[in-house]
Amino acid sequence: MALNIVVGIKYVPNTTNVNIDPKTGTLVREGVPSVVNPHDLVAVEFALELKDRYGGKVTALSMAPPQARAGLEHVLGMGVDEAILVSDRKFAGADTLATSYVLAKAIEKIGDYDLVVMGHETIDSSTAHIGAQVASWLNLPYIYYVTGLEYRDGYFYVTRELEDRVERYKLSKPSLIAIKMHSRIPRHVRLEYKLRAVLDSPIKVWSNDDLGLDPNCIGLRGSPTVVSKVEFTPKVPRKNIVFEGDIRESVQKLIKALLEEGVL
Amino acid sequence: MQHKFDVIVIGAGPAGSSAAYNLAKAGFNVLVIERGRKPGAKSMFGGRVYKAPVEKAFDDLDKAPIHRWVVKERISMVYDEEALTIEYDGRGRHSFTTYLTDLSSWMADKAVSAGAKLVTEVVVDKLLIEDGWVKGIVSGDEKLYADVVVDAEGINRLVLERSGLVEKLRPEHVALGFKEVLKLSKEDVNKFFGLDDDEGLAWVFMGEYTDGLPGGGFLYTNKDSVSLGLVIYLGHAVKELERHVYDLIERVRLSRIFNKYFRDARVMEYSAHMIPADIKALRPKRLVYNGLVIAGDAGGFLLNLGYTYRGVDFAAYTGYLAAKAISEASGDYSLESLSKYERYIDESFVGQDLKRFSGVHDLYENRRLFKEYPMLAINMMRRLFNLEYESTRFKDAFNESRKGVVGLTTLLKDLWGVYRKL
Ligand SMILES: Cc1cc2nc3c(=O)[nH]c(=O)nc-3n(C[C@H](O)[C@H](O)[C@H](O)COP(=O)(O)OP(=O)(O)OC[C@H]3O[C@@H](n4cnc5c(N)ncnc54)[C@H](O)[C@@H]3O)c2cc1C
Ligand SMILES: Cc1cc2nc3c(=O)[nH]c(=O)nc-3n(C[C@H](O)[C@H](O)[C@H](O)COP(=O)(O)OP(=O)(O)OC[C@H]3O[C@@H](n4cnc5c(N)ncnc54)[C@H](O)[C@@H]3O)c2cc1C
Repeated sequence: MALNIVVGIKYVPNTTNVNIDPKTGTLVREGVPSVVNPHDLVAVEFALELKDRYGGKVTALSMAPPQARAGLEHVLGMGVDEAILVSDRKFAGADTLATSYVLAKAIEKIGDYDLVVMGHETIDSSTAHIGAQVASWLNLPYIYYVTGLEYRDGYFYVTRELEDRVERYKLSKPSLIAIKMHSRIPRHVRLEYKLRAVLDSPIKVWSNDDLGLDPNCIGLRGSPTVVSKVEFTPKVPRKNIVFEGDIRESVQKLIKALLEEGVL
Repeated sequence: MQHKFDVIVIGAGPAGSSAAYNLAKAGFNVLVIERGRKPGAKSMFGGRVYKAPVEKAFDDLDKAPIHRWVVKERISMVYDEEALTIEYDGRGRHSFTTYLTDLSSWMADKAVSAGAKLVTEVVVDKLLIEDGWVKGIVSGDEKLYADVVVDAEGINRLVLERSGLVEKLRPEHVALGFKEVLKLSKEDVNKFFGLDDDEGLAWVFMGEYTDGLPGGGFLYTNKDSVSLGLVIYLGHAVKELERHVYDLIERVRLSRIFNKYFRDARVMEYSAHMIPADIKALRPKRLVYNGLVIAGDAGGFLLNLGYTYRGVDFAAYTGYLAAKAISEASGDYSLESLSKYERYIDESFVGQDLKRFSGVHDLYENRRLFKEYPMLAINMMRRLFNLEYESTRFKDAFNESRKGVVGLTTLLKDLWGVYRKL
């Protein structure tokens, strides 16, 4: 019954103040404090609950520069058994296609997995591409906005919650699911697990020498996406006008003001 | 848990990392437990560290994240948006400015490089006490054993409180510090304060910015930013302060005296932290127990002279002494054996300073220092320098400024008090 689960972890800059390199159009990640993508913490919680229920093993997988070790140590502290950091300068500048390719190949190398769990999206790029793309590279069933899973008779019975309905799916093994944000509260780290993370260094680092991928399919070269221009939404100064007094008159005044602004 | 360490250190601040570094160097199997996401994540201070004691505790200080060496000292009395300032323009390399976050990180890295293990994001709830001995620590439902524990948790010493070793902190015993880090270019810092690239300024001021409450302000120049903050004694503030502390610091930044430096500055960071104030009241009954040594702010080791603060160097040094006492205990961590640490403290400059300056705290009870005297000083300057036709005799300027503000005998008494206590 035991499940072998892989969780995708992205270590993201913890800031709304994102700087873009004007030459390459890529994110400048140096010098910005980073955290584990909050969606992925929910994914880890989901995976650990499955492990608590069915037994097995949870492996965290992240494609990232070496600083991401701190993020992996955090999820190891939550109780993840093993972590793999896929890291190589050759992977730099990857768009979602190249990223998902590397992740898919790494998952293949892990081998005997039953379930891949991801966050729904990230807070820095939020494309929500990775789950779907990894699933298609690996030919796996893929469901997102997942809020629950039961494992019975070798199948996953998955619940996904949409705005107006709940859907249930029966998925074969292995599958890939992306977890709905806020469906779980990520657990705290435990001293015992953190100690193991520090003492036994269970983080494996795989470079492209380990994966042996075609240089044309990874990094900037494997990325067909071209960021031609980045524009930020202009800051609109707030006027902070409050209409007080009689409700009818205030509404009239509000409508008048909105008409004058050209919004109505 | 099956793990057991020789030493557990609570807190990766300057005191904890210093103890861990020196113990790891001496061959101990040390674990540091820090509640922040990384060492320094929860740290804040004013801005200046005295070199010598830190150098005793850590090698390679020249590789530490040092921003500027303080060569300029300013002390100001402020009243009605005017200031009377004394400036000392020296050339020593006795103290430097830095971000405590970075310095704490560097110190923790030193400890880890020396072989200490560091676990972050874990809060120690209390000491594990069995049969009158500290046997380790408790975190949530987990216990971890060690032969001896170093408590370096800082001034908010909840672990010691919960373990019944110290009383609950009272407002009268601490001050609250809060500050903004303001981003300027390096060139502007140099230009505004008349400094060379690696030269720094330490500026303290007292008077109207604390609304007449005991306390004061500070400004330290970093490489390409300035730390601007205030310290107020909580005992008074809880009773009398009528505005938010962030309003107080904003008022300093926007005041005539400081605003000229910060018109184009960006506020990078706002933070607040407690500071030990009444050192006598904060000193735990004992600094050691069976299996426990207390170092840094947790032991109340901080000297606030009004014109300068010494906390980080005291913390690093007491951490060093804790390591020394533990190393020399050769496995006997009983109270008697560890009490050597108390002797080391009392004989060191830390203990001596705290004894010699033990009266300084009483000065903070004298409200005239924060209200009447800055007013007197500024009024006197006005009379002496803001001339139109006739010039003012010094004696008249003094007497007229003093009249109705403070009596001559009181003034002489206060002067004598300051002279005696500092
Ligand atoms: C032209 C271009 C250049 C880029 N250059 C760079 C660059 O130089 N450096 C860089 O870091 N990014 C770069 N990016 C961004 C990068 O492609 C995306 O960050 C990455 O593909 C993940 O996409 P996302 O963040 O939108 O993930 P989403 O699809 O929103 O994430 C969904 C889930 O997938 C999983 N996941 C996502 N990313 C990872 C990962 N790396 N490892 C493990 N699991 C993951 C997580 O579980 C996550 O919750 C570039 C993007 C473009 C378009
Ligand atoms: C506004 C202000 C200005 C100051 N200015 C100066 C100055 O200019 N120069 C100077 O030398 N000193 C200054 N100080 C004092 C100086 O910051 C402190 O004396 C010094 O940081 C004390 O070091 P420490 O290691 O004892 O404690 P801290 O630096 O407070 O470190 C304690 C560490 O323990 C951790 N911790 C606490 N509780 C737990 C727990 N239960 N479990 C796990 N970890 C825990 C904390 O997260 C922290 O990292 C100032 C202080 C303030 C607040």
